[in-house]
Amino acid sequence: MRELIAMWRNTRMVVFTALTASLYAAILIPFKVLPIIPGVTELRPANAIPVVCSFLFGPAAAWGAAIGNVIGDFFGGFGPGDLFGFVGNFLYGFLPYRTWELLTQRRPVLRGPMDWLLFTAVVGLASGACALVIGWGLNVLGFVPFRVLGNIVWINNMLASMLLAPFLLAVVYPRAERGGLTYGQVLGRRETGRVGLAYVGLGLVVGAVGVGMWLGNGLSSGSVRVPWVGEGVAGGTGAWAVGLGLAPVLVVLLLGMVLL
Amino acid sequence: MKLSIYVVANTPLHRLHPVVKVVGIFCFFVAAFTAGSPIQSLPLAAVVGALLWLGGALANVWRFRWFLALVFFMTFLVWSLFFHSEAPWFAWGPVRLGYDGVRFALATACRLTTFFAVGLLFLSTTRVEEFADALGMIGVPAKLGFVMTLAFRLVPAFVDAALSVVQAQRCRGFDFDRGNWLERVRHYLPVIVPVFIGALRRADLMAMALEARGFQLPGPRTSYRTYAWGWGDAIALVGSVMLAGTWLLWARFAGGN
Amino acid sequence: MYLRGVSFTYAGGALPALRGVDLVVRRGEMVVVMGASRAGKSTLVKVLNRTIPSFQPGSLQGEIWLLGQRCEQETVADFAGRIGLVAQDFEAQLFSTSVECEVAFALEQFGVSPPEMRQRVHAALRSVGLEGFEERDPATLSGGEKQRLAIAAMLALEPELLVLDEPTTDLDPLGKEEVLAVLAGLRREGRTLVVVEHETIAAEMADRVVFLAEGRVLADMPAQAALRSPEWFRCCAVRPPDLAVLAHGLGWAEPVRSVEQAAARVRERLMPVQKDDRAAGQQQGEASGHDVLLVAEKLSLRYEAHAPPALANVSLTIRTGEFLALLGHNGSGKTTLAKCLNGLLRPSDGEVRWKGVPILSIPLAERAVAVGYVFQNPDHQIFADRVWDEVAFGPRNLGLSEQAVAERVRQALGAVGLLERCDDDPFWLTKGERQRLAVASLLALEPQVLILDEPTTGLDYNEQRQTMELICRLHRQGMTVIMITHTAWLVAEYAERVVLLHRGELLFDGPTHELFARDDLMNAARFRVPDIVRLGQRCGVRVRSVEELVRMVGRRSEDR
Repeated sequence: MRELIAMWRNTRMVVFTALTASLYAAILIPFKVLPIIPGVTELRPANAIPVVCSFLFGPAAAWGAAIGNVIGDFFGGFGPGDLFGFVGNFLYGFLPYRTWELLTQRRPVLRGPMDWLLFTAVVGLASGACALVIGWGLNVLGFVPFRVLGNIVWINNMLASMLLAPFLLAVVYPRAERGGLTYGQVLGRRETGRVGLAYVGLGLVVGAVGVGMWLGNGLSSGSVRVPWVGEGVAGGTGAWAVGLGLAPVLVVLLLGMVLL
Repeated sequence: MKLSIYVVANTPLHRLHPVVKVVGIFCFFVAAFTAGSPIQSLPLAAVVGALLWLGGALANVWRFRWFLALVFFMTFLVWSLFFHSEAPWFAWGPVRLGYDGVRFALATACRLTTFFAVGLLFLSTTRVEEFADALGMIGVPAKLGFVMTLAFRLVPAFVDAALSVVQAQRCRGFDFDRGNWLERVRHYLPVIVPVFIGALRRADLMAMALEARGFQLPGPRTSYRTYAWGWGDAIALVGSVMLAGTWLLWARFAGGN
Repeated sequence: MYLRGVSFTYAGGALPALRGVDLVVRRGEMVVVMGASRAGKSTLVKVLNRTIPSFQPGSLQGEIWLLGQRCEQETVADFAGRIGLVAQDFEAQLFSTSVECEVAFALEQFGVSPPEMRQRVHAALRSVGLEGFEERDPATLSGGEKQRLAIAAMLALEPELLVLDEPTTDLDPLGKEEVLAVLAGLRREGRTLVVVEHETIAAEMADRVVFLAEGRVLADMPAQAALRSPEWFRCCAVRPPDLAVLAHGLGWAEPVRSVEQAAARVRERLMPVQKDDRAAGQQQGEASGHDVLLVAEKLSLRYEAHAPPALANVSLTIRTGEFLALLGHNGSGKTTLAKCLNGLLRPSDGEVRWKGVPILSIPLAERAVAVGYVFQNPDHQIFADRVWDEVAFGPRNLGLSEQAVAERVRQALGAVGLLERCDDDPFWLTKGERQRLAVASLLALEPQVLILDEPTTGLDYNEQRQTMELICRLHRQGMTVIMITHTAWLVAEYAERVVLLHRGELLFDGPTHELFARDDLMNAARFRVPDIVRLGQRCGVRVRSVEELVRMVGRRSEDR
């Protein structure tokens, strides 16, 4: 968490942020291949970029993904999704590298089945966190139901990342490493004092994403009720049900992120 | 290929203070958001349309006509199917098609389309630097604004590179349209890799060029762009706040969602 | 500023990039540094602006004094504003979306007051001739303008030392001229300049020329002396000035200053020559007996509705075995035309036919086998992490068996001399090697026509020669070659037929020597005929290179 602020003092990290953002936006634009919900989301191979950048550039990718999403919309489609898109994509760029380095010492160049398993889990978690924030936000605004958007974002990010990111990393990571351009090399040794708390944070994030995706779908379709949301607000768009119902989960998610 | 939406012109809208633009657009977003029925959305859309005309941005509306139309129809479709209607005409699993659902779907489609029209208005009349400056004046750290500007500048270069790569790979007999959609996603690998590597090659030089120009200096910074407040700004500010207020009250008393 | 015994080895590098370099630059001096690829030029520049050691890990030895200060731990930022750096890649040095903001950017970091800032921005823009461009988006500028803007951005800080690393390499002749003119202006203003350059014109402006080879200073001499000794240029893979080579080749003691002067001397030696001998220099390029391969008929193309056309009514016929050069400045439409010729672009009007069939109706894979296209920037196609796989990509797309693919890859890599590197990672090849790799990956498709888009840009003279010899060898083996270029001497020496484009229109289509005789066309397109060709014209002989003229004169002398 601390490196997310500290990195701004390093010029190379600032450049990595801008590169992540512009690559993300640039590959979004020509390849908005299949609009799933126009103006809100589409099947986009570009969604593999934040994950790849996360492993390369670390904290710079978190900021880069958040900004890149806004910049992409600056070329068409600046709208309601952008505020939540900022937070969601921030998590999408932040979680992969952070979880990976907490769980393993290995390089993110996948070799055996264990690597693939871990990678899938990490990407699934990051995609889920992103989907949770964006799905919740747009349902609260009443623009798209959570059970439509939340699931689409989750599956889309998962698919794009699993189909492209491992292969991209296999080609790009060794070169960046030899050029001294990975975040570990640029930032140097980082303090590892609060590792225990970081695991608690990871636990909270995993819990929040798991519960959040299940609860979000349930609340959005009306099949699940939670005690802190009254009877009267459950119908219609589900904006209130999802908005209030998921709010505690999101608080846990953010708390987990802070501890990470 | 022209990517940027900004319209180079010197209309009264372009001349507004960036903070006024950001606050104004926020007010318009609020108004668009509160409009609970087509009757409330349409007058707002008319106001936005007039401003688009004033800002010389109607060409952009034309450029994004399919996008706006798609937004409208998809939103309508999604909400018609997934709204929890009280008395559905037809229910099948999660799908409940009913009168209040369709009514809400129509209202939301209008709302969302207006929303994007407001976004278009903002982008047509505001440079990315102004946006970054405005964020800076509101209190967002300057480096965040700088990265935003830089990323914006780099996008066309990367898009050009990506298009060029697509052509180069086609020359080697690579057919992007071959295979099912899963395979097609994989086809982007030969495109993304060269663009990515190109970015990596540049990273060090960019960092060095930035530091050679004093980026990261500890001292206070000044700004080349200075913005003066004028009568136009006052009018625009009051106007957009009143607009947001009007729609809030209208939605409150006439009912909406 | 001076360096004494400076050596540097990159972290992970086997050999030192600089070995014991001594260099002195006095205030107000202009020093030009020349050298082949990997001679250590860029490393030297990085030492001068402290990128080494602050960004590049590695081991640095020796004594470095910059601006009267002994350097130990200082970083780039410590010299920000006092040492300015302009690099070859101008895209990586521009950060803003308007010209004036770009120049003001550095001043903002230094906290200069707005009124003074305005004044300095205007002064800097005036120095590089970009007044009136203040509001423009840098993305809309030409390469030369972008590079001038990068210089202005540095000038605004009024640095005591300005280091320019190959500022003209990526530019077309017009852009080169613009930037060199700016350099001449800075020289007149008495600024201290260190310029790494491949252009000999830069040496003509300098006080001193430093030749680097393999990380060592080979020679450090006054510019006038350097210009008289072409062998130094050759050592450093710089194309030496034509007249100097001629004077050297013919053993003239005193230097020649102009083409006219040289022509007068050559004429004396050529006097007793029979008329019919004079056209021996070149054969007719028109190979009318050969089959027609490609026909372009009245091509027109506009990228945007209101923009001027990128191509206007261009017709062209290409036959088997031709070697054709497409000549023109950036924006003249030469790349657009070439892309139409292999069906990458669809013309708004007119048609391209391949052996009588509209090219756009031919399936993609067959088109790739008919007309190969090597892009200008090899990095726009290289994506594999092994040289072998990169070349195999094309044949695999054609659906060939692995055995056939292997055979083709071996042949293609053999042709460009990269076979023994087949397991290497293309990322670490030099620009020249990557260029050859790009050619190989197209050769593996065995196309009948090969289009090369500026195959020599960014290469040093030796690499340019190597690339051209490769292309000539392919041509001799029966390949039809279309080469896009803006380098006049390449055209003079290698092309039989030239097509000159200017603002989307076809100005000329015919034998090379005829174009070079047309001063009106060359001036309209703002091209400089190579000195040696002009000299030949003055003497009434048709020559393509200095060597040819030297041989000719030598032969005549023996006859006498």
